[in-house]
Amino acid sequence: MSDASFTTPSAGHAMTSPVDASNAVRQDKYYLALPLGQRPPLRVIVDKRNLLANLLLLGLLLMLAGVSLNTGSAASLSLPATLRALFGEGDPLDIFVIRDLRLPRVVAGIATGGAFALAGCLMQTVARNRLATPGIVGLDNGATAFAVASVVGAGISLAPPAMALTGAAVAAALTFGLTGRIGVRGYRFLVAGIGVGAVFGALTQLMLTRVSIDAANAAYPWTVGSLNARPDHAVLSLSLALPPALLAGIWLTRSLTVLRLSDAVATGLGVAASRCRMIALGIAVVLTGLAVAVAGPVGMVALIGPEFARQLSARNTVPVVGATLAGAVVMVAADLLGRVLLAPIEIPVGIVTALIGSPLLLWILLNPNARTAP
Amino acid sequence: MTHDISAGERDATRPDTPSATPAPDMTVRDLSLSYGPVAVIENLDLRLPPGRVTAIVGPNGCGKSTLLAGLSRLLKPRDGTVLLDGADIQRLPSRQLAKRLALLPQQPHAPEALTVAELVRFGRHPHQSWLRQWSPEDKRIVDAALDMTGLTPLAQRPVDALSGGQRQRAWIAMAIAQQTATLLLDEPTSALDLGHQVEVYELIQSLATAGKTIVMVIHDLASACRYADHLIAMHQGRVVAEGPPGETVTPALVKRLYGVECSLMTDPATGAPLLTNVRRTRDVLDGSAT
Repeated sequence: MSDASFTTPSAGHAMTSPVDASNAVRQDKYYLALPLGQRPPLRVIVDKRNLLANLLLLGLLLMLAGVSLNTGSAASLSLPATLRALFGEGDPLDIFVIRDLRLPRVVAGIATGGAFALAGCLMQTVARNRLATPGIVGLDNGATAFAVASVVGAGISLAPPAMALTGAAVAAALTFGLTGRIGVRGYRFLVAGIGVGAVFGALTQLMLTRVSIDAANAAYPWTVGSLNARPDHAVLSLSLALPPALLAGIWLTRSLTVLRLSDAVATGLGVAASRCRMIALGIAVVLTGLAVAVAGPVGMVALIGPEFARQLSARNTVPVVGATLAGAVVMVAADLLGRVLLAPIEIPVGIVTALIGSPLLLWILLNPNARTAP
Repeated sequence: MTHDISAGERDATRPDTPSATPAPDMTVRDLSLSYGPVAVIENLDLRLPPGRVTAIVGPNGCGKSTLLAGLSRLLKPRDGTVLLDGADIQRLPSRQLAKRLALLPQQPHAPEALTVAELVRFGRHPHQSWLRQWSPEDKRIVDAALDMTGLTPLAQRPVDALSGGQRQRAWIAMAIAQQTATLLLDEPTSALDLGHQVEVYELIQSLATAGKTIVMVIHDLASACRYADHLIAMHQGRVVAEGPPGETVTPALVKRLYGVECSLMTDPATGAPLLTNVRRTRDVLDGSAT
């Protein structure tokens, strides 16, 4: 990050305008000139506060991941020993515990937390409502019902990720079908989604009561949300989907920022409002479906993550990266708490996030100063 | 300062800026607009005079806001086309259209704590891309738009903390920063007192003087007479009169539109038609005026 690459527009350009009104605001942004030889040079705006928030969240995430790797019942390792084992050095048993037992769990936590929160952030923004997270509008329950159906063997032989994805898409399609268009009729969309979610929740319970106790036990993690029983192929699918989804989210950020104003204003400014909305929703559906296939319905992360990121980030921005990082932080922290609090009994991560998320949900609903717009 | 903006349009760094075209030609051909199954406007033909202020007037529910929605692509026509310099606006890419046509919806709402400068900078959105998010030219245009609307001292204030007139000027400044040749406004003065109305109308007039084509929907016929060069009077989804206010507005038209009797005078100061002695007829009360 050299001084040469970070420059303000006034540096190196003789500004002839007599009025420098926007200068005061300008100080909270970096104007990163891209060295691509274009005249005038291409410039990307980096908001200082968001950069700081993201670095903070990344640091927090690395720290929590380290602690999580270092914590467990099997062997008590020093931090240097943990790091050495992580890179394949030291005692073979330590290496096995760290790399084969704990690391996949931390990776799954980061991927699912990031996916849930990114999906939540996108959906809240296009619906202009902080309550419109995939979990609340029924996507989690739809994905869960389908995943459970494949586990209890309801005559379907698709793998859980594909089933969960189908479930999330079906729930989304039902909700949109019932309301017409998201965003235009904010609360109607929410209420329809809650209804659709309740139906799928009931279907899940019904399936579990109709099968043998062993099958029901196998499906149990999907009903509460846990990082304990994570199918490897599901983690792989999610890990492959998350990076391009995050890039697409970053690409959409400019349009989403304008879409926050209103559909009419955004259209006037050249944003294809419905197309932008459909892309954002599509990403949210895919991420939620794949994340549920790994960890079950931990939908509260989609509420907590973006909220956490929004508190840290600059106002009037859409913290796509921040929400993803914050979601990963929340997920890894909640999983760690669930493992430590009542050790050796493990509290499923879905229960821990629900304990944190429910008061937050009430706060958003009841706090008169907190607007519901994201 | 008004010329700063038109000078920017000719800037060699953005030769593709369509607003450099001096006289945009907006034509409506056989346009039919409907909300769901309800047809609001059927087979409408119009030509909007370039470089002039056009006011669309008419009683509540006559379809004037619907027409503006059709002109700005907020509403997809059921039939017919809106042509901007010969190109169908439904076929133009969103961003290309937004470089040529700006829209100010009725009483838009700014997110909490958004500052005036931030709002005006949104006007540059169609001219920017992910790799070109800000340029010195953007800054110059935003500063000029703030200056032209007299908002430079308020640039760092949150939009929702401004007075109604200042807020409307901030939104107009955003549309100015968009540097389009055509500007559509839906009831730009609907929530403003007289002083703030005049302030906004004079600003709009100065934009037309600088070469923009302005089309605005307004409620108040008197203001339309005073500030518009061209009047389009609508009734039940049809254009019933069209032309310069002085030649178009007659007591018969006023009665047809609003169901009221009036006398007409010419404003000795401006030459605009003045409505006097406005009184209701029995028609309004028994509802048969429409």
